[in-house]
Amino acid sequence: MVNLWRNPLFVWDVKGAVEELPTNPHVSPQSIWDRTRESRVSLLPVGRLRYYYKWPGHGASIWNRLRYWPTRRRLLNIRGEYNPKTMAREKTVVDKRPIWWLLGLLALLVAPFLIPDSLQNTLFAAGAFFGIYAAINLCWMLVLGTASIYSLASFAVVGAAAFVATYLSIVLHLPWWVLPLVGSAVGLIFGVIIAIPATRLDGFYYALLTLGLNELCRVYFLQSKQFGAATGGLYGADTYIPKDWTPLSQSMLGYYACFALMLGALLLYRMVDGRRLGRILRMAPEKREAFAEATGVDYRRARVLVFIISSVALGFIGGFYASHYRGVGFSIFSFDTVLLGLAMLVIGGIGRAEGAVVGTAIVVLLDKVLISWGPIRLIAIGLIMLGVVLFLRGGIFGIKAQFRAWRDKKKSERRSTRAEKGGEMLPEEATETKNKDLVYFHRYDKMQRDYLKTLVSPEIIDEHQRSPLGQHSEALERLLLYFRRAALPDKYAITVVEPFKAYRIVALSGHRGVAPRVVEDKIYPTQDEAYHGVFLRRVQDLLEA
Amino acid sequence: MDWAFIFVNAVVLACIYGTLAIGISITWSSLGLVNLSYAYIFALSGYGAWLVAQFVGPSLPAVLVGPAVMAGGILTGAFGGLIVCALAFIPIHDKPNFTVRGLIATLAINLIGTQLLLWWFGPRSKNLPEIFGTGKIAAPGLVMTADKIGNVLSSVILLTVVLQWMRSSRRGLEIRAMMMNPHAAAIVGIGVRRTGFYVMAITGGLAGLAAVLLSQTYYIAPFSGLTPMIKGVSIALCGGLGSVRGAVIAALLLGLNEAITSVTLGGQYVLMTQFLAIIIVLLIRPRGIAGILDKAREA
Repeated sequence: MVNLWRNPLFVWDVKGAVEELPTNPHVSPQSIWDRTRESRVSLLPVGRLRYYYKWPGHGASIWNRLRYWPTRRRLLNIRGEYNPKTMAREKTVVDKRPIWWLLGLLALLVAPFLIPDSLQNTLFAAGAFFGIYAAINLCWMLVLGTASIYSLASFAVVGAAAFVATYLSIVLHLPWWVLPLVGSAVGLIFGVIIAIPATRLDGFYYALLTLGLNELCRVYFLQSKQFGAATGGLYGADTYIPKDWTPLSQSMLGYYACFALMLGALLLYRMVDGRRLGRILRMAPEKREAFAEATGVDYRRARVLVFIISSVALGFIGGFYASHYRGVGFSIFSFDTVLLGLAMLVIGGIGRAEGAVVGTAIVVLLDKVLISWGPIRLIAIGLIMLGVVLFLRGGIFGIKAQFRAWRDKKKSERRSTRAEKGGEMLPEEATETKNKDLVYFHRYDKMQRDYLKTLVSPEIIDEHQRSPLGQHSEALERLLLYFRRAALPDKYAITVVEPFKAYRIVALSGHRGVAPRVVEDKIYPTQDEAYHGVFLRRVQDLLEA
Repeated sequence: MDWAFIFVNAVVLACIYGTLAIGISITWSSLGLVNLSYAYIFALSGYGAWLVAQFVGPSLPAVLVGPAVMAGGILTGAFGGLIVCALAFIPIHDKPNFTVRGLIATLAINLIGTQLLLWWFGPRSKNLPEIFGTGKIAAPGLVMTADKIGNVLSSVILLTVVLQWMRSSRRGLEIRAMMMNPHAAAIVGIGVRRTGFYVMAITGGLAGLAAVLLSQTYYIAPFSGLTPMIKGVSIALCGGLGSVRGAVIAALLLGLNEAITSVTLGGQYVLMTQFLAIIIVLLIRPRGIAGILDKAREA
């Protein structure tokens, strides 16, 4: 059905005005608005959240430059910034791990005063065991994580050092404080011996070889007479725990000594992993050695160095072990010990100090505190280990990174479901744009174009052809207003080739001093025809947009 | 020195450990999995054979007891292989860092499995009936007992059957394709998971055979599989992971070493000379006697 438009200027005898013209039926813009609102495009929550708590600002000082000796690390990695909305100073604690470390170590420090009397024996023994094993695991983590050498010989080094130290202590009556030094010497010898094949072998060849070495040590010590094959171990070394103290204070001293040993191992880990040596080795993880070598990293030397350092430390721990337990048993070489140690590392996450310590804590808790469970506790450890390996990529402390990777995957999946753009911004564009008005402008512009497309009809084009300038019907007037309001770049204009005879359509550049470009060769004989040509081009652009 | 005795012992040991080593080697080269749960599979199939001997054996004629026990061990071993494949290979074989995670997963299965065996059967060791009888063959200069002949014959026969099957059958062709290039094999339609189950069942069965054969000499206990596994792994390593020929050569070499050492120096030095031999071989050839370089098999 065609509406009629009555020209109000007709009664004033305007030149060329007609009384009535056919035009479009009225279409309400509301219908387009409603249709956009009930759009099938689902608006999924894909924006960016602020994952860090923002602390209030700290006055004039932007940077915290306090560093603790001997590292160059700041006490806390704090980032200062301005809130883009309120322009207030804010600070973000980027790395909260030091806080957790401090709290955890404080808890271990005060734990002896909080445990109930009935559990004292079990918990002190388990605590001392935890301290020694955490120290061993930290040194092992240096080899396994930082140097990425799959060595399973750590307990062989510890055990050999402990046996030799105990033997020398019995035979030569060495005092307790010499034992760790003796152990270090044994560790050095062992480290050099084990490091020789490490220069040629890698990966599983090395892992299996060191596993064999562990078995070799076990068989040797088990069958040699001077190391006490009959008694299940070698006992009688000098100890640092005074014999005349009460049992409680003896346990407490043992606990704190083992705690101090763990702190020392943590310091060693920090000094190796966090400094130049660790950085060199992180540059050359397994399977990417060639790249590291090409960039000038001598990773072999660094690996052997880390290996020998950690072997010396493991020997030291072995000597300490001997002076703590007054000797050492053969079980330190057993496959189960290696397996439990590996479980500790794997559960916590390979390559992190906190992984070694927390993994040790979990396994020790299961193995030493819940003794009443019987064989179930080893099965539980195995199940945890299996679950961690099957479901987690980097142990317990890798959960955060893995969760974030999963969330990012889900986000990008959701984004990719939004293939239809239609004038709106895609979610990632919207979150990247500083000026949020643009988001709303694009949305409004899309709706307006959708509405204007419904107004284009042959009647309107005829009407425009009849009189490009002057009074028009409502539909045509809306179209023209939209066209006139367009931005200057690439806006169509008319240029005069020859006055009153030849006109041509050009497009403005939108930049001062840059000439418009010619869009077509057609020459229009009159100005009105040129106006209509521009109108047709704009209508075409609108319908194509 | 009694060379004939040493040689016979070397061959017997080489047959038993070589069976295990070839299983480890095939698993590694076709699946990329270093299976360290053989100690568990070994003990499990020993117990499987023991159960057969205990509950099925008395109702069978005496001639069939030996084959039944052996079949029980082999089938239990294959079943153990399937368990390991379902738990440690199927869920993670296409996930990042598979090799290390697979190694640790098999270690975890080993821990759980041996503890379950300990829980179920108790720490007391069991022994199997002498499945090859008690006869002897006296040749000039040496005496061959029936269990030695049976060990050698059965492991050689079974290994020949398995290798022939791998050489000539459709499934064997699939496994060999996986050994050469798993990606290309997957592209031409060889199911990685299905082949994984075949491989693990067969290598588990080989471990079961080794368990039955070795239990002619030793007892069956929850942790008895550890030493054979370490020996098998070191033979596979010395021969070169992924090479059957290398595993056979290394098995003979280390069997000879073990026999000579136990005669000349004493049994407690066996592991030492063995590891010295392995270290020397690996220092000369870092990928074992007949091993392929890592570049040749990008898993």
